[in-house]
Amino acid sequence: MKSHLSRRSVIGRISAAVAGVLAAPVAKAAKAVAQKVLVTTDMPKDYHPTQHKWVMAIDANRCIGCGFCAEACKKENHVPEGPYFRTWVERYIITKPKPGSGAARGETLVDCPNGGINGYPEAPVPKEEIQHSFFVPKLCNLCQHSPCVQVCPVGATFDAPDGAVLIDPNYCIGCGFCIQACPYGCRFLSPVTKTAEKCTLCYHRITRGLKPACVEVCPTQARIFGDLKNAKPDDPILQFYQNNLVVALKPHLGTEPRLFYAGIDKEVR
Amino acid sequence: MPPQLFRIFLLAVGIVGAYSVARYFLTPPSFGEYGWYRGAALAELATRDRVYAGKKACEECHSDEYEKLLKHEHKSLACESCHGPGQAHGKDPRKDNIEKSSFAVCLRCHEANPSRPKWHKQIVIKNHYTGSKCTECHVPHSPSEVP
Repeated sequence: MKSHLSRRSVIGRISAAVAGVLAAPVAKAAKAVAQKVLVTTDMPKDYHPTQHKWVMAIDANRCIGCGFCAEACKKENHVPEGPYFRTWVERYIITKPKPGSGAARGETLVDCPNGGINGYPEAPVPKEEIQHSFFVPKLCNLCQHSPCVQVCPVGATFDAPDGAVLIDPNYCIGCGFCIQACPYGCRFLSPVTKTAEKCTLCYHRITRGLKPACVEVCPTQARIFGDLKNAKPDDPILQFYQNNLVVALKPHLGTEPRLFYAGIDKEVR
Repeated sequence: MPPQLFRIFLLAVGIVGAYSVARYFLTPPSFGEYGWYRGAALAELATRDRVYAGKKACEECHSDEYEKLLKHEHKSLACESCHGPGQAHGKDPRKDNIEKSSFAVCLRCHEANPSRPKWHKQIVIKNHYTGSKCTECHVPHSPSEVP
């Protein structure tokens, strides 16, 4: 009988009673410990995602197809070698119609060797047969109704409050649904991380007050970047909207892109 | 209550209880901060290291070249357009961790191409020059100058 009242059992019972009384705070403390594993980093100082609305715009009239943007994007974001791009530059060539064919336009030829980084081969048709030719930089279209976000089965991709469409690499299971859903082909499955990747608008740069890498290196300012919530009237992004007639890609899909283009032809998809 | 029903009821309570406990402990603290996702993901993406330093960082040491560049046609170019990423060079300024820029870089923009806009200055290199140093006749930081 003595064993029932040993020091150990008495202490044990007392602590059990205390634990019972303090169950809620203890659970909270335990939760905090458990979640230390899940917590990682804080935002850069003075950056509040709800106080910005970033957007990019493309003035294709100014694009000279140098490919600096695609190259800078690869380097800045450590995009894997090979056919993986977060931004790239397509060359459109629209040929003249055959004489007497009654058509207004000829064929549309599009190419984009290595994202445009190494330049373009000579045009596949002689210069005299080209009706129109131009370069179109492509990237995430910053949709307001993003199909890629809607299809993600684990909620790993989301519309950030500051306008970027981002992927949480810790949650992405690499199923590839978003890659199929994006009508603009702006996502890929990284062979390195095995997760989906896409343009983040260089989130690590814009949150520190820098421009995205592609905008930074663009020699002709064909890419315009700005913060719609904090834009002054002479901000280049507002000037762009004011001075150009703009279009969005594939408007019939209802994705409501926030990325607008100026100076592209109807053939661009 | 029949015992079999009571056991099913107990089992249901157990499952729901276990789920609630797991959810309580395993939901990331930042979940729901901005929306139906982990808010900390934003901070994780925001704190990555950068590779390109930005034009302002170059100005700190190279203000003379920076000022010169701003006065001429190449004013819209970033330093890193031609010289490549400079974050490493900014942290540890050495000659071997920044590109010198070259002939090939000039041609990336100025080689004639029917797809390029007409306002852009272009040359057909084989008709224009046969050497390999554009800087013999042009100053990249102030293109209107003659060396």
